[in-house]
Amino acid sequence: MITAAPAREQTRARYPDEEGFVERDGVRIFWERYGEGEPTILFPPTWELVHSRCWKMQIPYFARHGRVVTFDPPGNGRSDRPRDAAAYHRSQVAEYAVAVLDAAEVERAIVVSWCDMGDSLILAAEHPGRVSGLVFIAPSLPTREREVAEFPFDEELDTDEGWAKENRHYWLRDWPGYVEFFISQMFTEPHSTKQIEDCVGWGLETDAETLLVSFRGWDIKELDPETTVELCGRIRCPALVIHGTADELVEHERARAFASELGGVYVSLEGSGHGPHARDPVKINGLVREFTESIAPSQPKERRWTRAKSRRRRALYISSPIGLGHAQRDAAIADELRKLHPDLEIDWLAQHPVTAVLEARGERIHPASAYLASESSHVESESAEHDLHCFQAIRRMDEILLANFMVFDDLVREQQYDLWIGDEAWELDYYLHENPELKRAAYVWLTDFVGWLPMADGGDHEAFLTADYNAEMIEHIARFPRLRDRALFVGNREDVVPDSFGPELPQIRDWTEQHFDFAGYVTGFDPQALGDRGELGYSDEERVCIVTVGGSGVGGHLLRRVIESFPEAKERVPDLRMIVVAGPRIDPASLPQHEGLELRAYVHDLYRHLAACDLAVVQGGLTTSMELTANRRPFLYFPLRHHFEQNFHVRHRLGRYGAGRCMDFETDGPSEIAAAIAEEIGREVDYRPVERDGAARAAALIGELL
Amino acid sequence: MKALAVELTAPLREQTRARYPDESGYIERDGVRISYEVYGTGEPTVLLLPTWALFHSRHWKMQIPYLARHCRVVTFDGRGNGRSDRPHGAEPYAIREFALDALAVLDATATERAVVVGVSCATLWGVLLAAEHPERVAGAAFIGPAVPLAPPLPERTVYPFDELLDTDEGWAKYNIHHWRRDYRDFLDFFVGKCFTEPHSTKQIEDAIGWGLETTPEVLANHDAGIALPIGVDFGELCERVRCPVLVLHGDDDRIRPHAQGAALAEVTGGTLVTLEGAGHLPQARDPVKVNLLIREFVESLS
Repeated sequence: MITAAPAREQTRARYPDEEGFVERDGVRIFWERYGEGEPTILFPPTWELVHSRCWKMQIPYFARHGRVVTFDPPGNGRSDRPRDAAAYHRSQVAEYAVAVLDAAEVERAIVVSWCDMGDSLILAAEHPGRVSGLVFIAPSLPTREREVAEFPFDEELDTDEGWAKENRHYWLRDWPGYVEFFISQMFTEPHSTKQIEDCVGWGLETDAETLLVSFRGWDIKELDPETTVELCGRIRCPALVIHGTADELVEHERARAFASELGGVYVSLEGSGHGPHARDPVKINGLVREFTESIAPSQPKERRWTRAKSRRRRALYISSPIGLGHAQRDAAIADELRKLHPDLEIDWLAQHPVTAVLEARGERIHPASAYLASESSHVESESAEHDLHCFQAIRRMDEILLANFMVFDDLVREQQYDLWIGDEAWELDYYLHENPELKRAAYVWLTDFVGWLPMADGGDHEAFLTADYNAEMIEHIARFPRLRDRALFVGNREDVVPDSFGPELPQIRDWTEQHFDFAGYVTGFDPQALGDRGELGYSDEERVCIVTVGGSGVGGHLLRRVIESFPEAKERVPDLRMIVVAGPRIDPASLPQHEGLELRAYVHDLYRHLAACDLAVVQGGLTTSMELTANRRPFLYFPLRHHFEQNFHVRHRLGRYGAGRCMDFETDGPSEIAAAIAEEIGREVDYRPVERDGAARAAALIGELL
Repeated sequence: MKALAVELTAPLREQTRARYPDESGYIERDGVRISYEVYGTGEPTVLLLPTWALFHSRHWKMQIPYLARHCRVVTFDGRGNGRSDRPHGAEPYAIREFALDALAVLDATATERAVVVGVSCATLWGVLLAAEHPERVAGAAFIGPAVPLAPPLPERTVYPFDELLDTDEGWAKYNIHHWRRDYRDFLDFFVGKCFTEPHSTKQIEDAIGWGLETTPEVLANHDAGIALPIGVDFGELCERVRCPVLVLHGDDDRIRPHAQGAALAEVTGGTLVTLEGAGHLPQARDPVKVNLLIREFVESLS
């Protein structure tokens, strides 16, 4: 598999509250601290092939429950890359840990290590006052003589197949080749592309020359068996050893023998590889939390449990913040649900911008919502000029999704709900299928598209990735069909794209028909409540064109392009009145101005204006384009480049309704836009009608579970 | 509820247990024999205390089989019911006597230290034990504690216990003359108040059955014994408890107000778990939740 290191670090779910360097024997070590209070967890580095980002799935969770300290190893991340082997010695790394604890003003910490080769063991044995507990994930600590490596590290070999890659000469010849091989051995679980990609990326932040300073084979890199056994005998604090049965790098027996030597609790993860904290982060976070709780209980002094019969009927609604459309349709469905079940209390676990819509309606937003990491800021940070690689943006959101799932899981452990509703709540659906024992309520999944689809210019690799994601989802549903008590497609059968999930995978439409109920489209507003033109300030002597990119900050380039077309469009359509709505994320003053053009930051009840206009120019998002379709307005839409949902799923649906004119940001300049405006404005449309009872149909299907 | 409870009769013989004791025996103190049972082996030991003589150790039947799978469980019948003696007079039923029985049972079963768990007025001797013998008590959990740390329910202060009354409505049934006249009617009433949760017929039936295994005279003696001074203010005693404390209290407890449990948690620095919708004896009515909470507490101590 070919993977590439990402050009820049993806958005974190949480950023450090403090960071700095410690210096020891001339080596600068970079450290970070997150959160406050106790317990404190130190996540030390492992082999310098990776750096402290390898703890990205743990940091946000534990920083919510105490204090977290991490540091980069010498040789990677933001630490120095010393050329002296002593700087990498196990006991030296233990001393870096002490220096970091001092700098972060941490007296005692629970040390959670990955593939410890001795640093944590030395730290706890030499500085027992600084360590209150030890967790070893996949420790690589031999308690008896290890087998000699198949291929000598220093000799020139006549092969570079398999483990022959672990060789000085191959490293210098093809470092990325070695990193990819080694990391592929680390994650033996299927569907680990993102974890592999991350680790390879970190491995490419350092190089063969740096690792060669201290590496001449594992027998030299790791502690020897005698020292390991001697150190184990000196450990007095509680210890936990976690190891996967499918770990290809550290034999199961070695980890078990180490645990037994240490006298710690041993947890075997069946089917897990060498990096379970990255591949099964929910389980690892739970195990580590249980361990920290046993050392430093944090249970509140007052708790509450309600007898089943005394419980009020409650639902928790998790509404995706990517695109504002979800908020409106979810609110409409909630209204219909309350009609069916007047005693139903609905709490929302949601974030900006969804919360803005919900607050305005007086909905109950659960206070835990404050802990959610922002998904919309991440998506915005991933976008370029009228360009959002939606699939990659969601992949690169894994840390945020996991952090938000942990918020959800904490919440539902404490509070009882009858029903969870997740509208494109990816974190909920994915991690529930990965940890099916965590399901505690009836669960409804809603989406308006099914199937990750590759963009043509992503080539084979992107096609491989989308097929892998689809395959994992299909396997999830096949293996745990009971998890989704109901899966609702917001739309109709024919709205599902006539494509395949990938090679040797089912057709998306067939599969969706088998696994979903169809609610019809949910507009989220009552067409009867729409005003007329006069009320909105538009006369019959003018033709109104509204240009909007919704609440997105990605739309500045499209607005500029359309503004550029205004003079020519006005020439062609003399009674044209063009109103450009910048939206909350774009400063209208940053946009060019033309005489006669109206620039507005915000338009109250924009959907009413869109319902009354003669033409709209929009992006390719589903909500706005379907609103225009329902209200039978002509419109031009520009799908964001590399946005598979807008380019395939939405476009297919609009095609079915015969609605809108698809434009191409790549090729359509101001003249083409002006010509399209002239042709489309005020045109009588013959769209397929959009149903108005989608919310009620969805609510009826959901309400059966209550 | 009353009409329903009256229909219930005490069973002729004890129903089949899910688990029988691995060891049982008697201790004797001042001529009073106390029956104890031991279930399971290993560490830690959980000592399930007796409560008011209205019930005996079978009131722990929903806890014993579960806890005995995870630790060692010791129970004993309090003086006045079950297979223990029913001495005469108030003195044998003093709070301290129950604490001393507990110590003697711990000794007899070679239990150095135990987690003690008690329901209702078992809290009185449980606290005494924990405060005066801290080396024997690793932790203490109290369910629906009956403690003089907050006022009793107002309806329970209306009628005197010893006087002849011209009514036997409601809490007027908590009266020695009514007990002698119609003990069964009192049991129906009192046990009905213990289980405020709907659909509690089996729990009510069990409790009435245990109540019929003793007599109004024993209960009156027990009440009088509890009222005897212990030589120290109960609140001060609570403050001397150093072990971890867990308090479970239903917010629909019609025997002992939730405020008493809250006050006990406060003064002992313990954790309060409020059971919403639960009555006075959640160990019988919500055994799953109570078992899990006890186990979690026991685990947190080791």
